[in-house]
Parts: sequence; C-alpha cells; structure tokens
Amino acid sequence: MIKKLALTISVLSVIIITLMPGCQSDSATAESSKKSIVVTYSILGSVVKELVGDNANVTVLMPNGADLHGWEPSARDIETVNKADLVVQNGLELEIGLLKTVATAVERGVNVFTASDYITVLTVGEEEFEQEEEEHHSSHNPEAEAGGEHDGDHHHEAGTSDPHLWTDPLAMKRVSAALTNTLKTDLGIDVGLRSENMLIRFNNVNQEIEEMVSEIPAVDRKLVTGHKSMGYFAHRYGFKQIGAIIPSITSQAAVSAADLAALKELIEDNQVKAIFTEIGTSPAVAKSIGQETGVRVIELATHTLPADGSYFTFIRNLTRVIVNGLK
Amino acid sequence: MILADWLITPFSTNQFMLYALMAGVIVSFTCAIIGTFVVLRGMAFIGDAIAHGVLPGIALALILGIPGIVGAAAGTVVMISGVSLITLKSRLSSDTAIGLLFVGMLALGVIIVSRSTSFSGDLVRILFGEILGVNLQGIIIQSAAAIIVLVVTLACSRPFLLLCFDPEQAQVSGFPERLYHYIMLALIALTIVVSFQTVGTLLVFGMLLAPAGAGALLARRIGGMMAWATIFGILSVYFGLLSSYYLNIAAGAAIVLTAVLIFFIVLIIQNMRSKQVRRLKLHPPHE
Repeated sequence: MIKKLALTISVLSVIIITLMPGCQSDSATAESSKKSIVVTYSILGSVVKELVGDNANVTVLMPNGADLHGWEPSARDIETVNKADLVVQNGLELEIGLLKTVATAVERGVNVFTASDYITVLTVGEEEFEQEEEEHHSSHNPEAEAGGEHDGDHHHEAGTSDPHLWTDPLAMKRVSAALTNTLKTDLGIDVGLRSENMLIRFNNVNQEIEEMVSEIPAVDRKLVTGHKSMGYFAHRYGFKQIGAIIPSITSQAAVSAADLAALKELIEDNQVKAIFTEIGTSPAVAKSIGQETGVRVIELATHTLPADGSYFTFIRNLTRVIVNGLK
Repeated sequence: MILADWLITPFSTNQFMLYALMAGVIVSFTCAIIGTFVVLRGMAFIGDAIAHGVLPGIALALILGIPGIVGAAAGTVVMISGVSLITLKSRLSSDTAIGLLFVGMLALGVIIVSRSTSFSGDLVRILFGEILGVNLQGIIIQSAAAIIVLVVTLACSRPFLLLCFDPEQAQVSGFPERLYHYIMLALIALTIVVSFQTVGTLLVFGMLLAPAGAGALLARRIGGMMAWATIFGILSVYFGLLSSYYLNIAAGAAIVLTAVLIFFIVLIIQNMRSKQVRRLKLHPPHE
C-alpha cells in the first residue's frame, strides 16, 4: 500500500517536472533571460511593443476595451506588476485602480516609467496649459514617478491634469524617445534603430492627420465627447473641446440635469455637428441629447485599440471618424 | 410669476427633463402600489436583494448583446427561486437565504463585469440608472408595467389585503397563501426590472420604500397609504430633478434623497402632532 503510494508520487513528480518547462513556453531558456516589461493599458502597450520588439516580453495589464478609469487589478495582475523588470504607466491618475499596486512595486525596487513625465501636461478647465518638461529617470526619483504623484520639481497650478495624452501622436513620440533612454539605462536594452523608425512613423502619422483635419474649416473644429478625453488631440490640431456629456476627465462621474442643460445650450450656440460617445458614456443620455438638438451621435474609440492592435491605426481611425463626423 | 417660471422652465425648455419627469411620475405610481405592500409586509430585504440580484443578469445580457431587461428578469427568477429553495429545503430563515443570494449575485455581477472586455458600461450606472436619458420607448415600457401592476393588484386585492393585515386569517380561510405571496414577489420583481433603465435598480428600491413608508405613517387604510405614497413619489421626482438642474447634482440620487427627506419630515411632523394630542389628553385645557 505504502509502496504503491510512493510509486504514484514519484511517477507524478517526474511527470510534473518534465511538463513544467513546457508550460512556460517553447523556448524556455531564451524567454527566462528576457526582461519583462508590464504596461498598464493597451494603447500605450501597443507603442511599447512596437518599440521593444523581441528584446523583452511586454505584457499589458488592462484588457483592451476595458474602461481604464474604473479598472481594478486582480491578484494575478498585482503579481505581474511585482515581478516586472519595468512597469510603464501613463500617470496623471489614469490608472487610479493601480495607484497602490504601483506604489508598492516601487518600494520593492521595481523600475517605473511614467509617460506623462515626458510630455507637456495639459489641464482641463480653463483651456490653458503649462509648460512642463521633465527629463529624469524612474530609478533616480521613484517617489515622484509612482502613480503620477507630483511633488517637488513637478508643480501644478489650477485645473486638473488631463491624462489622455495618447490622443496626440507627437506627445507619444516624446514618450517613445524617453522610453528608449530608460530601456538602455535601466534594462540594458538598446532599441536604437527601432526607436528611430518609430520617430519617423510618429512624424508621418502627424502629417497625415494634419492633412485629414485640413478638410474641416477651422470654425467647425468643435468637439463634444463623452468625457473630456480629447484635450491633447484638440490642442495639437486646432480643435476646441466645447463640452462633454460628463464634464470631467474621468468617465466615473454621474450626470446632472444642470450639466446636460448647459451642454444642450453649448451644442446649439456653437452649432456643433456631432456628439462623439465613447467608453463609459451613457449611450441613452447621449442619444436623448442628440435627438433633442438634432445632432448626430457617433461612437468614437478613444480608449480602445483597433483589431490590428496598432497605435498608428488607432490614431488614424480616430481622426477619420472625427473628420467624417464634422464634415 | 418669477417663481412659476423658475419651477417650470427647466421642464418646458428641455425635452430630457420632461421625459425624466414623465418616467418618474409613472415609476412613482407603480412604486406607491407595490411599495405599500412591501412596507406593510416587511419585505424590504427581499426587495433590496432583487434590486442587486439583477446585476449579473443585466451584465451578462449586455455582453451577449440581448436586451438588458431580459437578463434582469432572469436574474430575479434565479434570486426568488433560490430564496424559496433554501427556505424549503433547510431550517434556515428566509433572511439568511436572501442575504446569501444577495451577496452571491452581487459578487457574480462584479466578476462578470471585471473580466469582460466588451462591457461598455459600469455597475454604478445600472444601480443608479439614467433617468436623464429616458426615451419614449422607456416611458411606454414603464407605463405597460404600471398597468400590469394596477390590474393584477385590483384582481388580487382581497388576498393581498389579508396577507398584509391578517396573515393567520389568510391561512385559515384556505386560499392559496403561497401563490399570492409569489404573485406579490413577481410584481415587486417586475417593478424593479422595468425601472432599471430609468431610475436604476437601487434607486427604484428607494422609491419603493420612502414614499410608501411616509404614506403608511399618515393613512390608516391601504388606499390612503397608496394615494399619499403616489403624491410623495411625484413630489420627490419633481424636486429631485429640479435640484439636479439648479444645484448641478446627480439626478437619480437627488430624487431618492428627496424621497427619504420627505419621509423624515413626515415622521417628525407626525411625532409632534401625536405628542400634542397626548398632552391634550393628559392635561385637558381648563374649561
């Protein structure tokens, strides 16, 4: 009886041992030496993947299509963050559900790269923005990087910082260039050629967008969206964010009758041609406003990657939907 | 004149306000009838459980692309049959069964939403509704439900009354008490399911309890309770929407908060009056 049990256990353990490397991946030795980079959301993840290529394993935490503003990590997501060699996040409290996880990871010595540290941060509210260019490294100043908490040399005046920096390809170009440096200093990965190629692609897509946008006369460049998510795009390409169904930078606020009545007036006064709805917007509220003002309601993928998973397709599609909607 | 303007203009110039008011008035009427039964029979907990239990159904339906109302209905069926099953097959009381299914369904809803990539809404919106986004279709569905509730209640008025005021007599008199209990549960479920698109499942629960509770404080007869509850419900909807408009606050929450405030005002006035009556009885004024 005992012999039988011992035999079963030894056979089982042999099976488990032989199977284990197979579970991980086909080329176990190559994979284990690769560094792991964890990116918080899919759109930034797409840029990181294209920049890094085969030089590291890139994992994206939030599923594509999830509402970033309301996402909460699972236990496995937290483990993934803690085991990462580098965490790439947006910052400016976009990943509000990850603030604690990332702060803990920083304490444990995980390198964190915060994209918003390398761009000109816009604020929502008075349509003004501050010049702010910070060039420092996650490893040197972990406190400031964690969760977009800005202190010391970062200083924000009035207004709330807008986290939707991916709607401006030139902001993403800067992020890509800064990440190239971080990859080299923190992980010892050199992506020089890929990086130059990316910079060219960002410049090209920027030119494409400028051409597409030029079809719309300047007076018609007015955006009404689900929440205030198009600030960077608007600033780059001469649009004005007239209003939003939820006049907040997050999709998590509730609608009030006062906001809705004000929006209705804004749409009518400015002769806005379309209302763009997005993830987290109440479709019913958007439709009723659209019906009442006689304005088209169009779905806009502001937080979601297209099927091919490319940032460049994403930003082209975004522009096309806006241009067609406002024509 | 200026006051009238202030009270009416938000509704006359904004269609979404008018639709919200219409839907709210119909919800108030349905909730007044059903809410009075809920208050009299102490069924608040099962009502609350149904309001939360519909979540996984709605979430799953939205992911599968079928109408949310179908999923909500399925959720209530699971909820009610689960509660009956536990109470029939065990010695546990029904509030344990209700609590168990309540948290279970809520957790299931959160898991479905958190693992889905195509869920373009959030739980908060299901719970607190979108009364400012009500359309004509929603108002029609709401009215249909109100008519069903009214007709069924009239048809079952005698057994329902017995269930409320004299459950023992109901048992003795030999009519199928259990059957009418389930009919009543079905009406509660219908009220909640139908209104999830307008005021939200949690807020409809507030509309079930607060106006009917205030009505029960004022009237002795069930018809009077329902009439008061309808009035309080409509007042809550009207002033809730108005405060959402002028104070710039979330509409659904404003409505329910108004309803709860009205309840407390009625409670306080009622207590002051009964104290006065007692004082008069104890120390009658000298002739």
